[in-house]
Amino acid sequence: MTEPAPISEAAASADTLEGDLVKRARRGDLKAYDELVKRYQERIYATIYHMTSNHEDANDLAQESFIKAFQALKAFRGGSSFYTWLYRIAVNKTINFLKQRKHKLHFSLNDLDFNTEHNPDLVALISDKTPHRDAGLAELQNKLNEALHKLSEPHRMVVVLHDVQGVSHDEIAEIMDCNIGTVRSRLFYARQQLQGHLAEYLQ
Amino acid sequence: MNENENNFEGVRRLLKLKQHEIPPPGYFPGFSDQVISRIRAGEAGGAQTFTERLESVAPWLVTFLQIFETKPGLIGAVATSLCLLLTIGVVMGERTDNASKTILPTAEFASAGASSASITAPPLVAADSTGIVASTNPATSLQPVSTLFGQPNASLFQSASFAPAR
Repeated sequence: MTEPAPISEAAASADTLEGDLVKRARRGDLKAYDELVKRYQERIYATIYHMTSNHEDANDLAQESFIKAFQALKAFRGGSSFYTWLYRIAVNKTINFLKQRKHKLHFSLNDLDFNTEHNPDLVALISDKTPHRDAGLAELQNKLNEALHKLSEPHRMVVVLHDVQGVSHDEIAEIMDCNIGTVRSRLFYARQQLQGHLAEYLQ
Repeated sequence: MNENENNFEGVRRLLKLKQHEIPPPGYFPGFSDQVISRIRAGEAGGAQTFTERLESVAPWLVTFLQIFETKPGLIGAVATSLCLLLTIGVVMGERTDNASKTILPTAEFASAGASSASITAPPLVAADSTGIVASTNPATSLQPVSTLFGQPNASLFQSASFAPAR
């Protein structure tokens, strides 16, 4: 029988460390909060970026989310993990921002990393469509973002959190303050819509 | 659920492309510094904005106000219902006034009877030599004021007329 002791110990110590960092940050220790920001900056930025498809907006909203979280740390009771609580702040901020900016959509897409060209799944999707692979990937990236923006904010958020970020259904329900059934139905509907919008790449 | 996952395998593979979108190089190393310096600047500036303070004190109110931001049509509906409430309030107020006015004459008769019965009752109305009544009581201010020469006797007067005598 295998024992996952080292992993759970590592996870436990990470939790303890995070708890300690949160306690210190609540007392106003900015060094501790800096550690927490470094821990979650990539995930928070990525979630907001995938929702807005705009690097500048994502940068502003991610910074504002961390600032707001610091200011509200005293109200954090520890009922959920700090990570879930932080996510909730970022998600609410992003959805409010998108509702206000509904008709002023402006993409400012990040570049694709080097590994994209070596991802067999993605290459298979575009290789028979265009002889120029780079152009194909850029076009696909654009189409994908356009398709995502045809979804409502809650549907897009569920897809981004689950299919792009890999967040579990339970955690999404906690982050979005809804039940797990709602998360599943939103995910199903969103994928169905995306399948329709991206049909040319899925044949 | 697994069946659903299989049905959307193509979409899920496509969505993997999003994971390859990365911010410009050197973005994340400076990110936390920017956040911390903005927090420090906010603390040095001393103060949260009114909205931020409101958010920490009454987040439900902020959420309520945000509904107005996202649904401007709702502002009109709420404003209209407030105006309606105000109008109904004014109309109801006027009706109450009218009702009290209809009660007033009865009250006058009652007070007249009471004043004739007791001489010791203090005068409610103070009239000066010009005959102007100084009272804030609407019931007493409507009472006839006694003149210097007493009440005019209608039988002693003859109505004047410019019509030629026949």
